[in-house]
Amino acid sequence: MKRRITAYLSVVIVLLALAPAYVLAEEPPLVTTTELVEHSVDWDGKTVSFEGEVLEDVLARSDGTWLNLSDGNNSAMGVFVPRTVFMPVISWTEDYRTIGDAVVVTGVFHRACTDHQGETDIHATSVVVVTQGSTKDNPIHRDRVVWLIMLSLTLVVVMWLYYRKPDKDPGVQRGSREPPSRH
Amino acid sequence: MVRRVWGEDFRIIGYYTGLITIGVGLLMLVPMATSLVFREWQSAIDFGLSIVLTLLVGYLLALVSRTRNTPGLTHAMVIAAASWLVAMVLSAVPYVLSGHALSLLDACFDTMSGYTTTGLFLLQDLDHISQGLNMWRHLLTYVGGQGIVVLALTFLIGSTGGAYKLMVGEGKDEKLVPNVRHIAVQIWRISLIYLFIGTVVLGMLAIASGIKPQLAFFHGAYVFMSAWSTGGFAPESQNMLYYHSLPMEIVSMVFMILGSFNFALHYAVWTGNRKEILRNVEIVSFTITVLTTFSLTCLALMQRGVYPDAVALFRRGFFQLISAHTTTGQSNIYARTLVREWGPLGMVALTIAMAIGASAASTGGGFKGIRMGIIFKGIVTDIRKLLSPERAIVVGHYHHIRNNTLTDSAVKSAAVIVVLYVLIYVVGAVVGMAYGYPMADAFFESVSAGSNTGLSCGITQATMPALLKIVYMVEMWMGRLEFLSVFTLFGFIAASFRSLRRQSGAA
Repeated sequence: MKRRITAYLSVVIVLLALAPAYVLAEEPPLVTTTELVEHSVDWDGKTVSFEGEVLEDVLARSDGTWLNLSDGNNSAMGVFVPRTVFMPVISWTEDYRTIGDAVVVTGVFHRACTDHQGETDIHATSVVVVTQGSTKDNPIHRDRVVWLIMLSLTLVVVMWLYYRKPDKDPGVQRGSREPPSRH
Repeated sequence: MVRRVWGEDFRIIGYYTGLITIGVGLLMLVPMATSLVFREWQSAIDFGLSIVLTLLVGYLLALVSRTRNTPGLTHAMVIAAASWLVAMVLSAVPYVLSGHALSLLDACFDTMSGYTTTGLFLLQDLDHISQGLNMWRHLLTYVGGQGIVVLALTFLIGSTGGAYKLMVGEGKDEKLVPNVRHIAVQIWRISLIYLFIGTVVLGMLAIASGIKPQLAFFHGAYVFMSAWSTGGFAPESQNMLYYHSLPMEIVSMVFMILGSFNFALHYAVWTGNRKEILRNVEIVSFTITVLTTFSLTCLALMQRGVYPDAVALFRRGFFQLISAHTTTGQSNIYARTLVREWGPLGMVALTIAMAIGASAASTGGGFKGIRMGIIFKGIVTDIRKLLSPERAIVVGHYHHIRNNTLTDSAVKSAAVIVVLYVLIYVVGAVVGMAYGYPMADAFFESVSAGSNTGLSCGITQATMPALLKIVYMVEMWMGRLEFLSVFTLFGFIAASFRSLRRQSGAA
């Protein structure tokens, strides 16, 4: 009995010890562009997770596809998805009127990728669409339309005054003094 | 003795500044049309509003100060400096209306950066701006490279008596042909032919890279305008990293180098004088300084083992170096990679390249190759004088379009401008250091602004201190106009106050 309990306890202890490593191996840390660039040496060659919005173009190449994923204000990372990795359908990419699909990529981070001549990138091992993109509201500001009309009318008046008598030279008519002969 | 300022001086300055402002307003038609093509309605309205406002200011200025007198040299200098400020503020309106600029100061920072072909930016969420605004950003840099005054001369002002002086005020002092309007037309002809070639080539490469066909030629035009004008903007926040394309980087590099050459050299080559490429002092100077600074860059990168092989080192290192030396500012690495991986020596190499910069009367900034050549030849001539018998007459020469005799005044003028550049670089760096940025970073960013390069090591952000933004803006402005017109503007303002005081004293 005592031996059996010891055996059970040993198994439990081994499982507990391995569990965090298993969890870590299954779920790589979710990182940002800033974190990867600022600590590139630390992350080089490690498997990471990266979440971002697919920017304007999905760049298909002969050996795979490049995605540029935006993960914040003026912050984006290039992700290379090799042909061997399943590429989900990206239905929406970002532009002025649309929000691109949000994807989570798992892959290996390269500080200076040997396959891509020193590029800082992630080579994906899996790509999952987590949120589908959509169209954005692009409302017309009516107050600006009113301003546009009012300023346009003023401009017409000023242009009429300007072009009314193009030969008129107010400087001479007012009898203003000529500047000294420097020109 | 400084001359008095008369009412007519203000009229001449106001009238020509007004005409240039009208030119800026008309230029906004291009981004508005772009927005309409892409059905970006609000963006199109914003541009419509900006156009009307800019034209209104331009016509009011021209109306109240209409004159037949032509500008003298002082007027021309003041007009060039003042019209750049007016253009900066009015061109910032679409930025503010877009909601992507946090303040008017940030918007003005971006437009000054655009016009001066610097390339630093504070715009927020660049990846989500409209095509119209992207077109405007790149058009600013394209027009800024050739010069706003050159644009106005071509289309609005014509060959007035003071037209050449206006161009000199903007730093375009090469007399390609006798008629000044024809000079402007030649500059635009060269630039527009390259624009067509660049857009087609880069657009096709963009398609090959996987960019959507309907956008590829816009990307091509943007990258071309950025490279040719040595501007450094790009339509996406990753800059050239967005394309993951070596061919695009190579073609862009070719246009950066072409854009950094003197317009007089382009004109000489276009009119059949191809040998000029091999003999011109600026090309010789550029070749020597590129080789020297690239050797330094390679040393820095190899010492730290930044790149795994020679191909990677060449692709990243040479691109960054050429981008810095031509004062373009396009980048195929992340900004912070410079600090975190390239290290101080790599940053110093790029800083030296940026400080030296491109050719005179080109779209680029920095000391300029011709000044480096003249100063170097001046030193060599002085050494030769010391080593020659006392009665010997030693005369130095340099080749720029024709053989020129090296005079003491030419060496002095070159040295004065170089000293002024160093001064603004140092002032910007000291202010940066006063705000707590490390010395290497502060110098890098300050030289980048002052030489109109636009490479960043991460200091330029919307969160940086307002004073530092203003210092960088002044650096960009002075660096692009090469000081004289800015100093003349300050002098004119001081003389105006003095004249006003005299008038009120007499009354």
